[in-house]
Amino acid sequence: MYDLLVAPFAEFDFMRRALVGVVALALGGGPVGVFLMLRRMSLTGDAMAHAILPGAAVGYLVAGLSLPAMTFGGIAAGIVVALLSGLVARVTALKEDASLAAFYLLSLALGVTLVSLRGSNVDLLHVLFGTVLALDDPTLILLGSVATVTLFALALLYRPLVLECVDPVFLRSVSRAGAPTHLVFLSLVVLNLVGGFHALGTLLAVGLMMLPAAASRFWSADVTAMLVLSAAFGIASGFAGLLLSYHAELPSGPAVILVAGGLYLVSLVLGPESGLLRLALPGRHLEA
Amino acid sequence: MSARGTAIRFEDVTLGYGRRPAVHHLQGTIRAGSLTAVVGPNGAGKSTLLKGVAGALRPLQGRIALSTGAGARLAYLPQAAELDRSFPLPVYDLVAMGLWSRTGLFGGVGRADKARIEEALAAVGLTGFERRPIGTLSGGQMQRALFARLLLQDAGVILLDEPFTAIDAKTTADLLDLVRRWHDEARTVVAVLHDLDVVKRIFPETLLIAREPVAWGETGEVLSAGNLLKARRLVEAHDPHADACAR
Amino acid sequence: MPWFRNVTTFLIGAALVAGTWAAPALAQDKLKVVASFSILADLARNVGGERVEVATLVGPGGDAHVFQPTPADARKLGEAKVVVVNGLKLEGWFGRLVKSSGAKAAIVEASRGVKALRSEESPGHDHGHDHGHGGLDPHAWQDVRNAKIYVANIRDAFVKADPAGQGTYEVNAKAYTEALDALDAEIRAAVARIPAERRKVITSHDAFRYFEAAYGLDFIAPQGVSTETEASAKAVGRIIQQIKREKVPAVFVETITDQRLIERIAKETGAKIGETVYSDALSGAEGPAGTYIDMMRHNIRAFSAALSS
Repeated sequence: MYDLLVAPFAEFDFMRRALVGVVALALGGGPVGVFLMLRRMSLTGDAMAHAILPGAAVGYLVAGLSLPAMTFGGIAAGIVVALLSGLVARVTALKEDASLAAFYLLSLALGVTLVSLRGSNVDLLHVLFGTVLALDDPTLILLGSVATVTLFALALLYRPLVLECVDPVFLRSVSRAGAPTHLVFLSLVVLNLVGGFHALGTLLAVGLMMLPAAASRFWSADVTAMLVLSAAFGIASGFAGLLLSYHAELPSGPAVILVAGGLYLVSLVLGPESGLLRLALPGRHLEA
Repeated sequence: MSARGTAIRFEDVTLGYGRRPAVHHLQGTIRAGSLTAVVGPNGAGKSTLLKGVAGALRPLQGRIALSTGAGARLAYLPQAAELDRSFPLPVYDLVAMGLWSRTGLFGGVGRADKARIEEALAAVGLTGFERRPIGTLSGGQMQRALFARLLLQDAGVILLDEPFTAIDAKTTADLLDLVRRWHDEARTVVAVLHDLDVVKRIFPETLLIAREPVAWGETGEVLSAGNLLKARRLVEAHDPHADACAR
Repeated sequence: MPWFRNVTTFLIGAALVAGTWAAPALAQDKLKVVASFSILADLARNVGGERVEVATLVGPGGDAHVFQPTPADARKLGEAKVVVVNGLKLEGWFGRLVKSSGAKAAIVEASRGVKALRSEESPGHDHGHDHGHGGLDPHAWQDVRNAKIYVANIRDAFVKADPAGQGTYEVNAKAYTEALDALDAEIRAAVARIPAERRKVITSHDAFRYFEAAYGLDFIAPQGVSTETEASAKAVGRIIQQIKREKVPAVFVETITDQRLIERIAKETGAKIGETVYSDALSGAEGPAGTYIDMMRHNIRAFSAALSS
């Protein structure tokens, strides 16, 4: 049992770092994922992966293959896209999903064009996206900071965030916090995603954000419980996935996501809140 | 809060969407502490009027002035609540939102506040519903919950847009009692209604509107046969050849 | 008759346009060559000298594994008379490009006649890039003796396309081959100077297997041949254990791949991080590996420096 569960982490520094990395990502990404899911923005993560390209391209044009420059550029581009699409959705008749689609496509095309200007066809996104097995100190600090900022901001903005999801008209009538809350939330999404891409690759970052959140929906109808569960599922997926990558020699990122996906499927079938089994066999009805 | 004085003043207000006016050239005041019904045929601009007062819609022309001061807080119950029923929120939390002005973004809900929430739930007959998700409520129960939230908002001006449409009779009666209570507490209440019997029974003042004000004042006089006929002659459809309004 | 006038105008115009297109072609003496990537371009220039004009598809610093061709590239191909590719399935994208450009040039596979090594494991794929190597390792140019075969193939192709230049091409090729022989000897001497037990190196990209086979340096890589493979934790763990066990002195980072993984391995094992080495592309003209010979020389110096100290 020790050999199976603990030994790889005891022996290798890179395994310990990988574990810290996924824990940080799960703590920040899970709760953000829950809100994304509740607001019906679950595909935002994937769109954002493409939207950050021009920022990374500008960073590359300015400073060459400098990871800090490209990461910073990516964050800036992501936030601009998120803010613009959020604003357009609030002010015009266009809804959030179409607004985001429009801006991220524009952003992606811009990014591809900028990259081709330099001449070299280095696959920028490939360089930008890392692997969980190679987390150096600056990256761990980045992930840790992102998780801290996220948790702090979510705690602060919990009430307006919930209200903005449930009854935005009411929120607008009692407070002006609606728009800033929404924009801060989108910025949190970008931060978690770019931090995640930089450290862990697209699949891992988006996957650890959305899959645990989706799974948590089947265990509780209470928002707070979902937030806690999504983080817990994310951590469990990270731990088990790393072990899978170690013992079964699977690539690390996909292994973590496979475990997260497995947890989701189990929740889908067995979860007490409208899980498939519960829907099929509801048991005798209650008296009242 | 003074029962004299004006709560809402309309200064040649035109409200609409794009260039189409929903409400034209409204002029007048709503007295503080009054209980006013807004009636009129479909498409008369009643909901638009409330939206304008609530600040959700900017006038195309003119000005809506709300009185400032202690009684100035405004509570608005929109027509079809744009509430996301599928959001996993218990009734208690929905109702507690009414305390926003007191608690703000981070304020805690103290024991006194908790008591107030329970009181509000009792007033609308929803004691015991605290932990139920809002997605499981019937139409009538949801409306009661929203009224409980209005109670907690403790506002000086309360706007209700068709609060009893598709609601069962018992709930309607219970909620009308609440409206009467608000009137007794000298709050200003403006409600858009379709049921003229209710209006005649409960609301002392009425504004009859059909894109422009037809009559405004004491309910009995406003709801005369002649006025009602005039209002019904309103052309509902947009006139594709309408010119710019000369007034 | 109006239609007659229109047709005449059109025909005159078309003739003029065709004339301007044809004129530059008639005025051109240089043999137009397109090379798929920078290393081949350098070899082609050395063989062709003044008689050829060489354009490159994947420039210095680029990655031939994941190259995405553009319409400009198709145009270059269309104008060329000779196209030099590596073969051994390095350029997975080449077939598509040839079809879309309608190129009628002679295509020479520089690696023809080379004894190819099999690649160790089939690479994983990411993002659907189709550069599968079909089991063969394409980095044959890492063995200087193979480069001589490349030069011979290129020379033969130039002679076939431009018989008038045969003399020049043969002279250039002979001179360059002699330079390559000298390079080969230099590398062997340098390796001989490294103590035998220290002749082990880690790189992030498994591109040096031909170098290993030819010159006796032991190369260990945590990933497969392509740049897209994602490592498993087990593979990384194994490398770390191997480095510690066999006391591999140095770790090398390349221009193209993710250097963070290599740095992590180096930090955990205490191995030295050597200078950047060039495997799949030349550096720019200002860099230390602007030509093929410079590249090989730079690499062996980097290896020697890290392993000897």
